[in-house]
Amino acid sequence: MSTIEKKRPKVFEYFQSEDQFAGGVAFCAGCALELNVRFISKVMGKNTVLVGTPSCSAPVLNGQNVAAWHKLGHYACTMTGVASSATGLARYYQRAGIDANVVCFTGDGCAQDIGFQTLSGAAERNEKMIYICYDNEGYMNTGIQRSSATPFGASTSTTPVGSQSQGKTTGSKNMPLIMSMHDIPYVATATLSHLEDYAQKLVKAKEKAKEGFAYIHVFCPCLVGWKIPMDDSIQVCRAAVRTNYFPLWEAVDGKFQMTHKVNKPKPVQELTSRLGKFKHLNDENLAILQSKVNKRYKLLQALCEAPE
Amino acid sequence: MSAQNRVSNQTKVITGNAAAAYGAMLCRPDVVAAYPITPQSELIEQLAQFHADGILDCEYVTVEGENSAQNVVCGASMAGGRTFTATSSYGLVYMYDAMFNTAGYRAPVVMINVNREPPGIHAVCSGQQDMISVRDTGWVQLIAETCQEILDLTIQAFRLAEDYSIQLPVIINYDGYYLSFLAESVNIPAIEDVDKYLSVLKSQPKRPTLIPGEAIGCGSHGIGMGYVELRRKHMAAMDRVMPIVDVIDEEFGQAFGRRYGGQIETYRTEDADIVLVTSGSAVGTARTVIDAKREEGMKVGLVKLRLYRPFPVLRLSDALKGKKAIGVLDRSICFGWGCGPLYMETKAISSNIGHVPMLSFIDGLANMDITKEHIGQMIDTIFKASQGDSYQEVTWLP
Amino acid sequence: MAVTEKKECCIFETEASWSYANSHLLCLKTGEWRTERPVVNREICNSCGICFTYCPPQCMVDDGDYYKANLEFCKGCGICAKECPKGAITMRSEGDYANECPK
Repeated sequence: MSTIEKKRPKVFEYFQSEDQFAGGVAFCAGCALELNVRFISKVMGKNTVLVGTPSCSAPVLNGQNVAAWHKLGHYACTMTGVASSATGLARYYQRAGIDANVVCFTGDGCAQDIGFQTLSGAAERNEKMIYICYDNEGYMNTGIQRSSATPFGASTSTTPVGSQSQGKTTGSKNMPLIMSMHDIPYVATATLSHLEDYAQKLVKAKEKAKEGFAYIHVFCPCLVGWKIPMDDSIQVCRAAVRTNYFPLWEAVDGKFQMTHKVNKPKPVQELTSRLGKFKHLNDENLAILQSKVNKRYKLLQALCEAPE
Repeated sequence: MSAQNRVSNQTKVITGNAAAAYGAMLCRPDVVAAYPITPQSELIEQLAQFHADGILDCEYVTVEGENSAQNVVCGASMAGGRTFTATSSYGLVYMYDAMFNTAGYRAPVVMINVNREPPGIHAVCSGQQDMISVRDTGWVQLIAETCQEILDLTIQAFRLAEDYSIQLPVIINYDGYYLSFLAESVNIPAIEDVDKYLSVLKSQPKRPTLIPGEAIGCGSHGIGMGYVELRRKHMAAMDRVMPIVDVIDEEFGQAFGRRYGGQIETYRTEDADIVLVTSGSAVGTARTVIDAKREEGMKVGLVKLRLYRPFPVLRLSDALKGKKAIGVLDRSICFGWGCGPLYMETKAISSNIGHVPMLSFIDGLANMDITKEHIGQMIDTIFKASQGDSYQEVTWLP
Repeated sequence: MAVTEKKECCIFETEASWSYANSHLLCLKTGEWRTERPVVNREICNSCGICFTYCPPQCMVDDGDYYKANLEFCKGCGICAKECPKGAITMRSEGDYANECPK
C-alpha cells in the first residue's frame, strides 16, 4: 500500500482563523453562499464586523434574541442602509482608533437595486471598508424574484415563462464595472470555483480598505432559484468562468487586469444548459445572451489593454 | 483660548439654524452626517465651517441622502460614538425606515428636524406635519420656541438621549422659516460649561456597543417573547423620559440660568378660565395676545407644549384640570380624525381634566402666518364656548 | 400608562437586541436533512483535500491520512463527490444505513 501524503490545497495558506460559523446553519444543501460565507470568515480574520441585511444570508448572519450562529461581529440593518450603516461604524472605529475590518455582505438585490444609492455614495466618499456582493442574480430569499442582476432571458417568479413571456426582457447591470467607475482603490470579481483567486482578492481588499473603498462581486449560484442539482454549484461557477459569462478580473487603483485568462472560451450555452432557469431559452434569445456576454467581455478586454 | 471659545462663550445675534449648529458643536459629537434640505441647509453649512476651521473635531460625513444620514449616525452610535444629524420634511420621511432602526436599537442619536410640510402637496414652507408623521417611530420629540431654546434644547437632548436610564434617540423640532432663518440674540455658553453639564453621563454605566472581535451582534432578530420584552423595555424607557425632562431642565437652569418649565410651560394658567395649548414659534405670538386679553379682563392662560413624545399626560392634565374650555392650536392636520393632532392627543386626556368644550384650531400651514388677530379670534371662540355657546369643534384659519 | 415595575421575563440583559455568540452559539443538526451520504474510497483517494475545500458546510474533517464527512452536519449535497478529481467519493442512500445506531 503506497503511503499517502496528505495535502492541503494552497488556499489554506490564506486562512487566518478557523471557521467562525457553527457546524450546522440554515443554508440550503449545496448552497454556494454557505461556502462563500464560511470562506470569508476564515480568510478575513476575527476583527471582522459584517454588516448584513434581510437576504439569504440574514437567517444565519443575524442573531436570534441573545444567541447567534457565528462569532464574527455583526450589524443588522435595512436593505437601504447597508453601506451607510457601515460608514457610520467604520468612521467611528477610525476616530476611536479601534482595529476593525468592516465588511458589508449583501446579495445583488441590495447592492444593485434598493441599496445601490447608498453603496454608490459610500464608494464616492471612498469610505475605508469592503463591500462584498454575492450575486445569485435575483431576490432569492423572498422567492426567486428578478433583480437588476438577473440576466437576459432568465425565468424568475416575477419574469416567469408563459405564452406571453420568455423570461426577463432586459440585460443585467454590469455592477463590478459600474463600481470601478467610482475612482476607488480596489474592485474585483470572484467566484467559488476559483477559491485561491478569491482568497487573494479578499486579502488584497482588506489591505486596500485601509486606503479606501474595496468592492468584490462574487458569482454565487442559487440552486433553488436557478433550478440546478444540489451537487452542481461549483461546476456552474466553473462554467461561468469558462464561457466568459463571468470573467475574473480586478482593478487596482483603476488599473484593470484579468486574474484568470480563459484562452478558448466556451459558448454560453455550456452554462445555460446547466441551469433550469434557462430551460425555455430559444435559439434567438440564446444568441442575444451570447452577444451580451461578448460585448461585455470586449469592453473588459479594452479596459485591461488600455495604456496607463 | 480654545478654538471653540473663540466663537462661543458670548452673546450673538444668530439664526435658529446657527443656534442649533452651535448647540451641536458644543456637545462635541464624534460623527455628524450632513445632507442639505431647505430650510435646514444653513445648519449643516455652519457645522461644515466649524469643522473646516478646526472648531468641530468630528467625522463630518457628507452623505448622498437622508436615509444614509440616519443609517450613518445609527451605525456610529452603535459603535460607541456621540452622533448628530439634521433634516426636515421630505428628508425626515426619507429616513423613516432607518428611524425605526435607530429607536429600536436604542441608539442615543440627537437629530434636529426643522419643521416643514412634507409630502402630499409640494411645499417648501413651515408646518409641523413632518414631526407628527414620525410620532410612532419610538423617538423622543421636543419642540423649541426661540433661537435660544433651540441651542439649549440641543444640549439638553444629548444629556437626555445618553442618560443610561433612557438610551433613546431624540428629535428637536423647530419651525422652518420662523425660527430657522430668524436671527435673535442668543447666549452661547462656553464649551467647558457644556462639558461640565454633560459630565454626569461619564459617571453612569457604559451602554453596550459593537466591539470588533468580541463575537457581538447588533440588531439580532427578536424572536417571540424576546421581541415583546424589548418593546416593553422601550415603552418603559419612554415613560421614564417625562420626569427626566423636568430634572434636566432644572439642572440646565442651575448651570446656565435658563429654565423652560420642563415638559410643558404654563403661562398665566393658575387662575385662568380658558387655556390655549400650542407649540413652537406660535407660542411667542400667543403670549402677546394672552397679555392683551388679560388687560381686557379675560382670564386666559397659555400652555406651551415642549415635550411631544412621550406625550406629557400628567403635567398637561394638572395644567388643564378645572378649566372651562380649552383650545389647541395645531400647525398640522390629523387625517382620520378631521382635526389637529395635538388637539386629538389633548382630547384623549379628557377623563383626567373633565369633559369641557375643547376646540381644535388649524393654522399656519403653508407659511401663512399665525397672526395676533388669528390668536385673538381663537381665544374669543374658546371664551364663547366656555360660556355655553354652541361652537365648531374644528376651525381652519385664516 | 404606567408600565409594571416588576422585572418582567428577562431574555435580554440589555435594553436592545444584542447577541453574544461566545456565550450563546446556536447550531442546527443539519445532518438530519440528508438523504444521501458521501463515502470515500480510500483505495482511490489521494488525499488532495479538494472535497475539504469545496464542501459548503465545511464538514469534511481530518481522519488521519484521509478526510471524511462529519455526519452530524453533512447535508448530503454531493458537491464533494462531484468535485473529487479521482472520483473517489460516492453518494450512498441513507437507507443503506437505516439500521446503524446514530452516534
